[in-house]
Amino acid sequence: MEKGGKGVRVTSWRMGHDQGPRRAWPINPDAASRLIKKAERPVLVVGSAIEEVDGLIDIAVRVSKTGIPIAATGHSIKFFADKDVDVAEVNVVEITNMLTDPEWEGLDGQGKPDLVIILGVNLDLTNQTFSTLKNFTDIPGLNISRYYNTNATYSFPNLDNELWLEYLNQLCEKLESE
Amino acid sequence: MPETKKIKIDKLKGKGLTFEDMIIEFGKIEEEWDEPMGPTPKPNLLALRSWDRKLLERYEPFYTPICDMCCHCAFGKCDLSGGKKGACGITIRAQQARQIALESAIGTACHGAHARHMLEHQIKRKGRDYPIDLGLNVATEAPITRTIVGIKPRTLGDLEEVMDYAEKELQKVLASIHAGQEGDYIDFESKALHVGMIDNLVKEVGDLAQIVGYDFPKGDPNAPLIEFGVGTIDQTKPVILAIGHNAAPGAEIIDYCERHNLSDKVEIAGICCSAHDLSRKKDSCKIIGPLSMQTRFVRYGIADVIVLDEQCVRTDLLEEAIKVKSPIITTSEQNCRGLEDRTDDNPENIVRDLVEGKIPGVFIHDPAKVGEVAVEVALKIAPLRKDIKAIPDTKELIAQASRCVACEACQRVCPVNLHISEALKEAEKGKIDKLAELRDLCVGCIRCESACPKEIPIVSLMEKAVEKQIKEEKSKIRAGRGPILDTEIRNVGPPIVFGEIPGVVAFAGCSNYPKGAKEIGEIAEEFLKRRFIVTSSGCAAMALAQYKTEDGETLYEKYPGIFDSEGLTNVGSCLANAHILGAAVKIPHIFARRNLRGNFEEIADYILNRVGAVGVVWGTYSQKALAIGTGLNRWGIPVILGPQGSKYRRLYLGRKDKEEKWEIYNARTGERVKVDPTPGHLTYVVESKEEAIVAIAKLVMRPNDTTKGRQIKLAHYIDLHKRYMGTMPDDLHLYVRIEGDIPMNMKEEVKEILKEKGWKERIIPDPTLVERLVWKKEAKA
Ligand code: SF4
Ligand code: SF4
Ligand code: SF4
Repeated sequence: MEKGGKGVRVTSWRMGHDQGPRRAWPINPDAASRLIKKAERPVLVVGSAIEEVDGLIDIAVRVSKTGIPIAATGHSIKFFADKDVDVAEVNVVEITNMLTDPEWEGLDGQGKPDLVIILGVNLDLTNQTFSTLKNFTDIPGLNISRYYNTNATYSFPNLDNELWLEYLNQLCEKLESE
Repeated sequence: MPETKKIKIDKLKGKGLTFEDMIIEFGKIEEEWDEPMGPTPKPNLLALRSWDRKLLERYEPFYTPICDMCCHCAFGKCDLSGGKKGACGITIRAQQARQIALESAIGTACHGAHARHMLEHQIKRKGRDYPIDLGLNVATEAPITRTIVGIKPRTLGDLEEVMDYAEKELQKVLASIHAGQEGDYIDFESKALHVGMIDNLVKEVGDLAQIVGYDFPKGDPNAPLIEFGVGTIDQTKPVILAIGHNAAPGAEIIDYCERHNLSDKVEIAGICCSAHDLSRKKDSCKIIGPLSMQTRFVRYGIADVIVLDEQCVRTDLLEEAIKVKSPIITTSEQNCRGLEDRTDDNPENIVRDLVEGKIPGVFIHDPAKVGEVAVEVALKIAPLRKDIKAIPDTKELIAQASRCVACEACQRVCPVNLHISEALKEAEKGKIDKLAELRDLCVGCIRCESACPKEIPIVSLMEKAVEKQIKEEKSKIRAGRGPILDTEIRNVGPPIVFGEIPGVVAFAGCSNYPKGAKEIGEIAEEFLKRRFIVTSSGCAAMALAQYKTEDGETLYEKYPGIFDSEGLTNVGSCLANAHILGAAVKIPHIFARRNLRGNFEEIADYILNRVGAVGVVWGTYSQKALAIGTGLNRWGIPVILGPQGSKYRRLYLGRKDKEEKWEIYNARTGERVKVDPTPGHLTYVVESKEEAIVAIAKLVMRPNDTTKGRQIKLAHYIDLHKRYMGTMPDDLHLYVRIEGDIPMNMKEEVKEILKEKGWKERIIPDPTLVERLVWKKEAKA
């Protein structure tokens, strides 16, 4: 597994996702947490694939409880309906479309997100979503899914399941601290 | 207008008579058709531009580039990311739109060349004057042609005029794509919509030609059930396999067998749309499956001869066929595969060379000769080919699995990201369950094998894991019935337009599914149980045959083949897919007496606002599917794509949060009024089966629904949302127009939500986007 970091070349998990000269910065949980904390209106986009790996729903809930609203795409609203989190149901291409609208004021009408974090969205759709953000908005994209995605602005490297969950746990801990 | 030829004769002298300056006019007699010509017969690139702009104003193009570069010309490659322009001045947005127009044009060209070939072939067989007669119940024989071209085709020869028009338009769209031509993304989209509409048209031509020429079912709701699946093939007989989309060579194989009393002695089977069309001609032809089955089935070695025609045929099939010593015959000038052209050779020589293995295959551009050669080769080679296959035995499977070094190169290229090395690790220990599970999800692209540094035949190993089940896999599919009957439209027109039949769900597309074919069956069953009309074509129709209900029946066995509530129709191949749109076009004509002739805009406006139909393309791959969907959009029919569909790179999305986008004319008063945001999108992508189901229920709503109709639609939407999303929908206030729209048994619950959202009643207008369709013009002022 590519661990990213200094001196290690990180490549897109799916080679076909390399679509141009710009490449995402590989990022670790510590840097990711700093980025999130710095953002004023981050949003966590959580897709249907969240149910495919045990523990991910809890991770999303923990992240959200640090003050980050969840945009539940696909049918993922189902997994958060009984959780005490700030969650709104929205289709993934619809929210991406709205993010490209300079006048859009966010799902809550309080202002447009300034950081889009993606977790548990179908692999290709994750890539396509980051592609739109990259090409048609100034909003940075942070990929905390398992596979490195070069269309994001920042991305976890390619990880195996175990290490990914470890990264996500560390991220939660960092966000939960202070 | 009918074209005529004039001859001028300056002077003609006969017995006692002299004519001077005489003009004789030859041509078609003006057809008897009392419909007046509408405003846009044979529309050019501009005629419907304003309609397109109306659509695109509401359903704005949304782009997800799959490449930031452009390599369209030798100025490039140009990097268009980050707001940079190409050397020709193009932006990334316009480049996406250009690519969409190009790919739609490719898809249309495919159907167009196919239709032209089929038409010429049938004219050669039957003559130019052969009537297009689909029987009394299909009096509206060519709704798409009537609407776009403005003619009512009576003979095969009449269809040539349609093809002439279509080919001209296709050429213009292609011309607009040249570097430095069109540059505006909305105009590119208009061209994509135009060429998509042309795609719908040529499909209708191609299918009409083959229906009358081959005497396919003419809208028969009781079209026979066809045997489906590998297990239905009688391997004791020589097996001929047809792959592709053009029925001409396969039809000649059937005819040759009949003429020589060989029908019982030879097994004829097909993959992809050729299979649909062969079974429409003869119901003993078997259907093996969709595109994803091509390489797998060839590797089983069951096919003694493989006949390839055109479209969606894997380009490496010759290589695969050589492995199992199955001779290949290519038959389409679009698809020669490097094989020697033996069209003019004596059939006996060709048969001999193929049977003796002197050549792996031939190209024969003469369907009748293909018929003879394929059958004769099959008869002679079958006894020599016994037990040849490219699927390993169990020992070999284990040996191959143990060579895996877990590099995951295979998984990284797999479109569905299958965890192949984990399954191989298990297989190495003799446990093949995981491998078998993956097989159900695999889309048969074979990319994993070519990426594997150890050259492990991954797909063959998966096939070995399921070999027993596959060889016993037997199922049923209803033969493609062709058009929807005018009588059926008479019955369902009013309840569809009023919303009392909650919707028409049309499955189309390719076998590139995100989680296996089963999901299509599950989606279809959900809506059949809810008394929707469900219809299908192409590979999607086959996916439905792969699905069995709890009772072990296929949906085709359980539900009748009628176009009505709780009916499941298979119209047939991709070409036949035109009849699904045709049914939508017939509704305004038969039920609301709207004229079709040259009257595209009015008909599309009617469909958009009144006909609750939605296309579902769960598996996306081909440019043809893109052209089909783009064409449907121009007619006002929304299409839902599976997650892979985002890689088409363009959607047409509505903004339900922007009230001003949903303003229309009330045709009764001429006033501009705001309506509910329906249909919500024209091309849409969803992530999961669950989301697709809920999206279908929402996308069948139309502003014209009666309150009773809207109640029914909302009841389904709410119920499905609760079931699949676990919650009440949060946007009900947008779809309840007046209190009467609220489903009876949900009154209190819904009213509470409406109160929270500050909901206000709205009027239910007679909706139209087109000002000239307003009844009382004076009221507009
Ligand atoms: S068409 Fe335009 S953007 Fe594309 S390569 Fe040529 S100059 Fe560059
Ligand atoms: S053939 Fe199947 S397993 Fe191999 S890459 Fe394609 S989908 Fe994946
Ligand atoms: S590419 Fe080949 S060697 Fe590598 S994991 Fe896949 S099967 Fe194993």
